[in-house]
Amino acid sequence: MWHKIFHPLLVYIVTGVILLPLIWMVGTSVKPPIEYVSPTINLLPDTPTLVHYRQLIEDDILGKVLNSLAVAFGSTFLALLAGFPAAYALVRLRLPKRLDKIFLLFVLVIKLSPPIVLAIPLYQVLRTLGLLDTLMGLILVYQVYALPFAIWMMIGFVRDVSVSYEEAALMDGAGLFARLVTVVLPIMTPGLIATSVFLLILSWNEFVYALLFIQTPSTFTLPTYIATLITEDETFWGRLSAIGFISSLPILALVGMVQKGLTRGFAGGLK
Amino acid sequence: MKRPRFTSILLLGPAAALFALLTIYPLGRGLILSFFMTEYGFEGAKFIGGENYQYLLSDSFFLQATWNTISFTLMATISEVALGLMLALMVSRRFPGRWLVIPMLIAPFVLSTMVVTAIWRAWFHYDFGFLNNLLRAVSLSPVEWLFDPNLAMISLVLVDLWQTAPLTFLILLAGLQSIQPETYEAARMDGASPSQVLITITLPLLVPHMLLAALLRSIDSFKIFDKVYALTGGGPGMATETLSMYVYKLGFRFFDVGLASTAAVVMIVVAGLLAAIYAVNILKGQSRVA
Repeated sequence: MWHKIFHPLLVYIVTGVILLPLIWMVGTSVKPPIEYVSPTINLLPDTPTLVHYRQLIEDDILGKVLNSLAVAFGSTFLALLAGFPAAYALVRLRLPKRLDKIFLLFVLVIKLSPPIVLAIPLYQVLRTLGLLDTLMGLILVYQVYALPFAIWMMIGFVRDVSVSYEEAALMDGAGLFARLVTVVLPIMTPGLIATSVFLLILSWNEFVYALLFIQTPSTFTLPTYIATLITEDETFWGRLSAIGFISSLPILALVGMVQKGLTRGFAGGLK
Repeated sequence: MKRPRFTSILLLGPAAALFALLTIYPLGRGLILSFFMTEYGFEGAKFIGGENYQYLLSDSFFLQATWNTISFTLMATISEVALGLMLALMVSRRFPGRWLVIPMLIAPFVLSTMVVTAIWRAWFHYDFGFLNNLLRAVSLSPVEWLFDPNLAMISLVLVDLWQTAPLTFLILLAGLQSIQPETYEAARMDGASPSQVLITITLPLLVPHMLLAALLRSIDSFKIFDKVYALTGGGPGMATETLSMYVYKLGFRFFDVGLASTAAVVMIVVAGLLAAIYAVNILKGQSRVA
């Protein structure tokens, strides 16, 4: 009796309660303001409307989406580009033993460093490079967290590639670059995709550096745009819900893709 | 496969350069700045030795922020591990729709923190917020979730709990699934009740996973910034001012870069100590299991 009915029932109820805020968000995004600025507990609208989505388009939401996409893909690409050779070297080359330990210590230090702690010197770095208030600058500073995470994840995937494939290619006279591109990368593709997904989520959601290093509204990413709407102390809930829904959809879709590596990815990287 | 030194420089070079520019330099620069008094921004820095440290340790705002951060970290970590454990135990057994329930339970964790705070700020609204509407619906009086000094911190913990319990849930679920079924069978043969099995077998075996979850969550809770920024701004009064918020205000609102760097150094040291305590416990636990 317990196993067949009550246990599943309990699970469904608990899951439903946990999802309430999300259901509220989706519902509110299609509610006319008169319905959500009221003392009712209806989650779904009586008269659905798309007015908030229309308003977002007028607010140049597309520009912010494009900024977010550019930063997410840019920083993911840079992290893979610099991180893959490093991960490969840490696994395959006979480096001094200490280097491994130094890298691990490094990952730990970065994990421990609050973003705000590095922000003041990073501000100077960006100012010197002339990258303050630019998306390029954000892509660069996101490497603070993206790069160690990318290396840490890819070390595991490089280990899974058997050395014998590479040795075979070496016999055929393939140089290092050729081996990396034609042997190691193709075998690692699933791992690369998983790593990319986590890197994309990391940058797509990042807030602190976007807040501190971007001032021009047209360069805002989605999280900073949302923050300006939140702190304007008005009840823009319809618009906030619509934008929340829009910015969450791609993430939820991506997570569906990498269910297997979830624990490792999350434990290492996000938030 | 042995390779000349040149190759390793080529492969490690880009990553090392980025590390140096974005982490080693800023950390070193921050450490140096912490011994300087700055006028406005980075200009007119003057070496003053440990005076910033002395000042901080006697600054009641800093001490309050430290205390707030510690109490937030404790409350968040404990509640998140507890909820994660309950969810993991609940889902560890088979039931119809399990493949769908697990990703649904993870959903809050992958959302942007700004989306999460947008939702909860609306929920906490006094007049029309969902939570107060709910209280009114069952004839209770509404509360000032974010503006009552005694409640604001709890409200922050609640948001953090909702967003990050999925992480502890995932870690503990992985832990539960790594326990061999034979372990349970022996106990069941001896006639142990389900709750006896839970207390004498499952929970002790889960301790390393619980410590790992607690470690990750306390490191992150200790850094909390964005939720405070968007939900309370540190208020009411100083009630939810955390260390990250304190450093942010000093550095980016009052432009006291020297003092902000000092607070930042103190933060890293405290976070390091925190991590060391856990690391020692986790290692001890591992050697006991092994």
